[in-house]
Amino acid sequence: MSLLEARNLTRLFGGLAAVNHVDLSVDEGEIVGLIGPNGAGKTTCFNLLSGFLRPTLGSIVLAGEDITGLRPHQIASRGLIRTFQLTTLFQEMTALENVLLGLHLHSDKGPRRVLFGRRAFPADEIARGREVLEFTGLVSHADQLTRNLPHGHQRVLGIAMALAARPRLLMLDEPVTGMNLDESGRVMELVKTIRGRGTTILLVEHNMRAVMGTCERIVVLNFGQKLAEGTPAEVSTSPDVIQAYLGTGVNHA
Amino acid sequence: MHRRLGVLLGLVVLAVLALLLPQFGGDYYVHIFALVFTNVILAASLRPSLTCGQLNIGHSAFMSIGAYTSALLAKNLAVPFEISLLGGALLATAVGWAIGYPSLRLRGVYFAMVTVAFVEVIRLIAQLWVPLTRGMSGLSGIPKPSVLGMTLSTRTGQYYLALVLMLATLLVLWKLEHSRLGLIWRSIGMADHLAQSLGVNIARHKLLAFMLGCFFAGIAGGFYAHFIRFLFPPEFGFLMATNILVYNYVGGRGHFVGPIVGAVFLSLLSEPFRGSPYETIFFSIAMLLTILFLPGGLITLPRKLAELRWWRTASAPTPSPAA
Amino acid sequence: MTPALFVQSAIIGVSLASIYILMALGLTLMFGMMHIINFAHGAVYMLGAFVIYYVFFQGGAPYFAAFVASMILLGIFGYLVERSIYRPIKGGIEPTLVALIALTTFLQAAGYPVFGQLDKHVPPVFPGTRNILGVGISIERLMIIPLAGALVIGLYLFINKTRLGAAMRAIEQDKEAAALQGVNVHVVNGLAFAVGFALAAASGALMAPIFKLDPMMGEQPLLKAFIIIILGGLGSIPGAILGGLMLGLIDSIIATALGAEPAFLLSFVFIILVLLFKPTGLFGYAP
Repeated sequence: MSLLEARNLTRLFGGLAAVNHVDLSVDEGEIVGLIGPNGAGKTTCFNLLSGFLRPTLGSIVLAGEDITGLRPHQIASRGLIRTFQLTTLFQEMTALENVLLGLHLHSDKGPRRVLFGRRAFPADEIARGREVLEFTGLVSHADQLTRNLPHGHQRVLGIAMALAARPRLLMLDEPVTGMNLDESGRVMELVKTIRGRGTTILLVEHNMRAVMGTCERIVVLNFGQKLAEGTPAEVSTSPDVIQAYLGTGVNHA
Repeated sequence: MHRRLGVLLGLVVLAVLALLLPQFGGDYYVHIFALVFTNVILAASLRPSLTCGQLNIGHSAFMSIGAYTSALLAKNLAVPFEISLLGGALLATAVGWAIGYPSLRLRGVYFAMVTVAFVEVIRLIAQLWVPLTRGMSGLSGIPKPSVLGMTLSTRTGQYYLALVLMLATLLVLWKLEHSRLGLIWRSIGMADHLAQSLGVNIARHKLLAFMLGCFFAGIAGGFYAHFIRFLFPPEFGFLMATNILVYNYVGGRGHFVGPIVGAVFLSLLSEPFRGSPYETIFFSIAMLLTILFLPGGLITLPRKLAELRWWRTASAPTPSPAA
Repeated sequence: MTPALFVQSAIIGVSLASIYILMALGLTLMFGMMHIINFAHGAVYMLGAFVIYYVFFQGGAPYFAAFVASMILLGIFGYLVERSIYRPIKGGIEPTLVALIALTTFLQAAGYPVFGQLDKHVPPVFPGTRNILGVGISIERLMIIPLAGALVIGLYLFINKTRLGAAMRAIEQDKEAAALQGVNVHVVNGLAFAVGFALAAASGALMAPIFKLDPMMGEQPLLKAFIIIILGGLGSIPGAILGGLMLGLIDSIIATALGAEPAFLLSFVFIILVLLFKPTGLFGYAP
């Protein structure tokens, strides 16, 4: 059964279609890649699914519930958690505080706790936060300010925060862009481990090769429309896809 | 541990000084400091909204609502001070909701513009609703504050009331800032879309932070009304609203004590030319200089000076190899 | 309200609207490029009017020379503000807004010792009245409409037909891309400050012969301009023009019937309702 089902997704910007009649489905337990050259509409698609943009047309169903037009925090509370490109993090907070915010959806927010609790966060939440940092290999940096972390760690912290929110569907926006081969390999391993724990993953990536070894199914967008869909092997040999990538002069190494 | 001890010691000294002030200071200082405490409440209560990245330039309007409401309840309906004070604060909060709900969903500048215009709206209402507020003749004959039926008729008694109100306000605000709520406010101020993606209802939290500020501005206004016992619409205008903002920026945005330092420092320093244009000139220059040259505010001054000294001692004794 | 009174207030409304539109256009232009709201706009309006007082009335220069001088002087001032306030803060929106508020209160407060406590008056430039549909309208107020209209058209041509205007539009769309294409973002932002300030100065200069001059005179037009850009949608130039016309007409007609203060209160209630039901303004579209 599909966990996420988007039908006829369309978004116009001043008459131009950034995303044009796209159907997209992600099954429970899958890793799906959404790829395409620059300006293909990947990010717009991502923003539509996570509620940061309203679709002009079309519907989005998550686990049988229509979530079209819901606001981002409402969609997040239904288990669809996204990350952002590059290092969108709470830079002036520690790594642990970032993850604690990730726990927001699953925390004790009663006014009694807020006003009269002796500590800001109960011990079990801190333990959970540290557990997530442990899992992502950041626990030794828990109390460092995020802006002082190296770039690669910051990117992983972004994923850690999303994990803390316990997603049913984790959507990663270009998680390895700007990383070297070694770093991106480690992030992709992490992604596979996360999937191994039962989380479904939708990955947006510009770099085609990075996702080939990880994704089971790939959807290719070009000019806002779905160009191809299939296994990595099928997609990478599709003449349309090769044309699209070469045609825009993008280096897909 | 040493640091904690130092902080504790500092707080004790401050508390003793505040308690003893009426003993060695005259009525003049008692009066001034009661007003300084009011300013501290105003400045500190703006902080939650600012932490969320919302520029509220209309805080004086909510002070005005608290002041007029409390004064009228006490004067016309003989409501006890405690209840009229609370009534004023609650009305300020309710009005804050009505203004904040439509404007906080949008980008910050909308909210900033709406709050500026709202200062004028409240001033005009206070000015035009003559049967109730006496308009430009000013509202006088406001009863002195009372606690449990006992009227605080001396300046000293009222001073202690201001002190208690300020400490209670600071305690609540401090507690909230160091709770989960404070972390959420900071997260919204730093990257609101990221907070949203983690399930934070940012519109609700911005509104909550704003209404909290309105409540305490109402408290400050209520105390002010019964302390000065005369209300005049233009007092709560744009200038007072910007002063509250100035306290926060000049004091420093990075720490809870920032607005407190800013309010105390600027209120005392501007005292000699209160009411003249030079007060405003002083405030605006202080603000411009701080923003341009000390963006972290006065609270970062010790660290800046220490860095400067470190730099001097570190660079002075080592002769350059070329020499 | 008699029909004659209605016609009169409608014409006065359009002439007021012209002033508000000039104010709002500068604000919207600067917002579009730098995402800041120029809170100092009202103070610049005030300075623009005082330049007329000193150069035209005291100095005896021709009105149009004083008018141009006012725009040029405050345009230069705008450029300097960009250099000394906007640029050093490096795009931090909130500190920039606060610094502009500080600049405003400074200019207003300094106005009292510099210009004197008493209200100033500028004698009429276009004396007399003209009979339109049986009602007398002061020519002074009528003249505002073509003069402001010429400035709006000038601004339109500047933005759409000149290279500098093209650079401004490029920054509005994508600052990084514009910089990559060789647009000097600093200089063009400085220019936007200059143009915005010059438009505010022009509004003040046009109003100088009609209202009394005092250091706080810019407050009302600034608030009106805020209401207009909320009404018309932030960053939208057609929105600013249509919003300005609407507000000017409503304002003048309600003000004639009920008084100026209730008119302001009603317009505030109106924008709150607009924000509630159409948050992007009457003429704006979702970003």
